[in-house]
Amino acid sequence: MREEVRQIQRLLEEQVYIADAAIATALYLSMALGKPLLVEGPAGVGKTEIAKALASALNTRLIRLQCYEGLDATTALYEWNYPKQLLHLKLEESSSASEAEKEAMIFSEAFLLKRPLLQAITEHDRAPVLLIDEIDRSDEEFEAFLLEVLSDFQVTIPEIGPIKATHRPHVVLTSNRSRDLSDALRRRCLYHWIDYPTLEKELEIVRAKVPGIAETLSSQVAQVIQATRTMSLSKIPGVAETLDWANALVALQAPALNEEIVAETLGCFLKDESDIAAFKAELPRITTEYTD
Amino acid sequence: MSDLEVESVVLFCRELRAHGLSVTPAEVVTAATALRVIDMTNRDETFLSLRSILTTSIDDFQIFEEVFKRFWNQSHSPNRTAIVRTQSNSPRQSPKGLAFFLEHWGSSFSGGAQPIKVPGASDTESAATKDFSEFSNEELKEISRLARRIVRRLARKPSRRWRPVKRGHRVNLRRSLRLSLKTGGELIDLTYKERRPKRTKLFVICDVSGSMDLYSRLLLQFVYGLQNSFAKVESFVFATSLARITGELKNKTYQRALDRLSANIRGWSGGTRIGASLSMFNDQWLRRIDKRTIVIILSDGWDTGEPEKLAASLAQLKRRAGRLIWLNPLLGSADYAPVTRGMQAALPFINVFAPAHDLASLRALEPHLVL
Repeated sequence: MREEVRQIQRLLEEQVYIADAAIATALYLSMALGKPLLVEGPAGVGKTEIAKALASALNTRLIRLQCYEGLDATTALYEWNYPKQLLHLKLEESSSASEAEKEAMIFSEAFLLKRPLLQAITEHDRAPVLLIDEIDRSDEEFEAFLLEVLSDFQVTIPEIGPIKATHRPHVVLTSNRSRDLSDALRRRCLYHWIDYPTLEKELEIVRAKVPGIAETLSSQVAQVIQATRTMSLSKIPGVAETLDWANALVALQAPALNEEIVAETLGCFLKDESDIAAFKAELPRITTEYTD
Repeated sequence: MSDLEVESVVLFCRELRAHGLSVTPAEVVTAATALRVIDMTNRDETFLSLRSILTTSIDDFQIFEEVFKRFWNQSHSPNRTAIVRTQSNSPRQSPKGLAFFLEHWGSSFSGGAQPIKVPGASDTESAATKDFSEFSNEELKEISRLARRIVRRLARKPSRRWRPVKRGHRVNLRRSLRLSLKTGGELIDLTYKERRPKRTKLFVICDVSGSMDLYSRLLLQFVYGLQNSFAKVESFVFATSLARITGELKNKTYQRALDRLSANIRGWSGGTRIGASLSMFNDQWLRRIDKRTIVIILSDGWDTGEPEKLAASLAQLKRRAGRLIWLNPLLGSADYAPVTRGMQAALPFINVFAPAHDLASLRALEPHLVL
């Protein structure tokens, strides 16, 4: 592995993010080539965490844009601060400024409310990490708009003119694949897929993120979760659920798993009534298999 | 970065394309640029880097991995004659023509062994199974009315986006403020905004193969009604292959539309290959499908192609479309169960599975057509 990739891995590890060679390489390339990174994978595998860990590893700001249907430029890019504009006009009522001067004043940068995309472009000190979360939830129009911003990191505000990025932000996009993204957007980005972690990796994550967890308990937790993922459930537990559960078990001071404790705490990682019923039916088998 | 390395990356991209991955020139350029920052002698690094550049979805990973392994094992000099082009060579059925099947519906059914039982065929008195040509003007009008009502509903739901209007309930501050400058900063003339109506698109794909003929005439009338109601409707017909008929249906009278239609889709083959037709549809039209699109497939599910192909095409469609509706005229019969292999393969991907054998069933469709 090359030194830069290893360094990224180390930096992420310091942020308690367990990164494998694939994700570290993808991040390295994304930074070296200045291209956005599209991260896909099932819910709860830590897609968003990548951006967070990257921001703290680079010691820079994380700017997050949460996508939803109907998200448009005024919420993503900028909006004028209307109350401030009104107040300013009131204060200037008696002044001799002409209409054109007043207009130029209230449509200047001081009256601009910067939304995430504009913030990311105008960040002064150093390149921020721009997280565009759940891009698959936005609609096609927004995707097209985003493509424009991501291609040259420049936006145009009619009243002010073009604003070019002072530092090119490190862009991470996440998607749960609830709909197919456009080809144009995909091709603009580097691609990375995160799957549910392997047993070893999950164990590593639990031990890193839940300090003070006993060795046997952590490995039992990881094994039960791995077994749960092979069942046909409507909502498969992600890493976040594993950690919730491990934390709960530590709080309850459970030394190891047994049928009773699992039954009491399974709400931590199963969030669906029918899933819980299905799991309970398998509970005796699972507990005998993974506990002593 | 040596010329040799660049050359092998270009050849590798070509190899990927030959195996069905679409690699654009821009991506080849990115890959070549990446050579500056990666170490080509390190295989893992090359693999991970090129994968994140040259694939755009996890669906590409397997092909990528196979091609990568083969390519870089041949020490960067791939034997290009060995490139295997993946192309389906499924045997084509003999062309017989739609017209033939319009005349001989049900009397022959290529591929399937079982004869087709048409539900309600005994029930010939009802308007439902009456041939379109026997429909009274009033009944034909009812179909058109129904289609218009459905299309109107499509346009009525508000979206989350705004548009400026003269009169409304929400003030459009941006515009009003600008206007206020004329009156010295005093807000006198307010302008308003309202939710833009949701623009739902409709894609209708109608089966016109032999087994469907009794219904397809009636259903085409319905599609004609939809098409001519000032909405975003695209219509297609298929038997063993697919044709877009949006243009043909945009005619003043249904009869003219039908004439143009039969003139333009002559020379079709006989049976039904839903999977192949849908995959043709996906190839050309999938880009236009989004979450605000309703896709309606009108078919009885008798498929002479492979059900796997049908399932794969539907899965693809389902991922992009807002809703996938399958109207099966056979479903109107009490003793019909969707047990054909094609229908079985299709069911998991369908949001609404409903009958379409009479006016009542078309009417019942209305609520499903609002996203």
